Amino acid sequence: MDSTGEHGGASRRTLLRALAAVPLGLSLPRRAGAAEYGSAAEVLDAIERLAAALDAQLEALGAAVPSARALVASLRADHRRHRDERARLRRRLGLAGPPLAERRPAAAPSLAPLRAAQEALVYAHAEGLPALGDPFAVDRLAHHMVELARHLAIIDLWIQTEEERG
Amino acid sequence: MAEVMAAGRRRLLGGLAAAAGVSPALTAFLGGRAEALTRGGETDVAILQAAVALENQAIALYEQGLRRGLFPPALRAYAVEFRGDHLGHRDTQVAIARERGQGLPEPLPRYEFGRLRPGDEMIRRVLVIEDAAQRAYTALISQIAARDYLLAAAFVLVDEVRHLTVWRRVLGLRIY
Repeated sequence: MDSTGEHGGASRRTLLRALAAVPLGLSLPRRAGAAEYGSAAEVLDAIERLAAALDAQLEALGAAVPSARALVASLRADHRRHRDERARLRRRLGLAGPPLAERRPAAAPSLAPLRAAQEALVYAHAEGLPALGDPFAVDRLAHHMVELARHLAIIDLWIQTEEERG
Repeated sequence: MAEVMAAGRRRLLGGLAAAAGVSPALTAFLGGRAEALTRGGETDVAILQAAVALENQAIALYEQGLRRGLFPPALRAYAVEFRGDHLGHRDTQVAIARERGQGLPEPLPRYEFGRLRPGDEMIRRVLVIEDAAQRAYTALISQIAARDYLLAAAFVLVDEVRHLTVWRRVLGLRIY
């Protein structure tokens, strides 16, 4: 099992230290590669795309690692619930339905790309909150972000366990 | 365990409200006695005040635990990392407040945590404060008006979730 990958704690700390070190406002520093969303539709479309990529990773891992199936099933159930809630949010905000999901090739079962996909989805939520412009939507997506950040922490613990096993 | 944590969280938030001059409106919101706050600069400052008070409390607890060797040696690295995260959260929010010309509460001269015991008992103590932090940020984030603070608070919240998940796993509590 490939378990390499940058741990997210360092990049979060880097961002927060950068935030603390300079005046904010218009000069808000962004993490490298950060998305700057202009609307709720952009945020939700990005989340749908990243969630689909993550789901492909999870599906591959669940198929390849029997001991991970309970965890994978739990995480995918959370994703389905989030997707349903996002559909309701789109209706509330008067937005079009989600873009059609691309048919993705089967992912290789590996922890590093799984972690990268999970982190990208967490960051899309965090970076998307300011663009939503609706406190109810912020509240719902913040709750999703909390669950997804928990999944990310679980994946980090899994990677750490694999590394300790050598 | 859930009841112990809920009671600890209520004591913590109540104590914070009293010690840090947290606004009555914010205290009512966190206690579930108000559905929403008036979004704007004043509410953002009230949230910053509460958040910095909570971060100072967390920093003090981790520092006492680390100074007195109360964390199990195998978990000390986590405690050091999480103390560093809380320092970063505090400094970020102090910077945001300063940019708005606002002062924030200084750390108290002394934090009374009662008797701290080593091992799992110390982990339970930090778990209570991490749980309170996660719940407070989760509840308050939709009430933040300023985009820069909302973005920073989102990344702070991601850290708090990581802390809570790690300590829950250490104590054998459910994480998924």
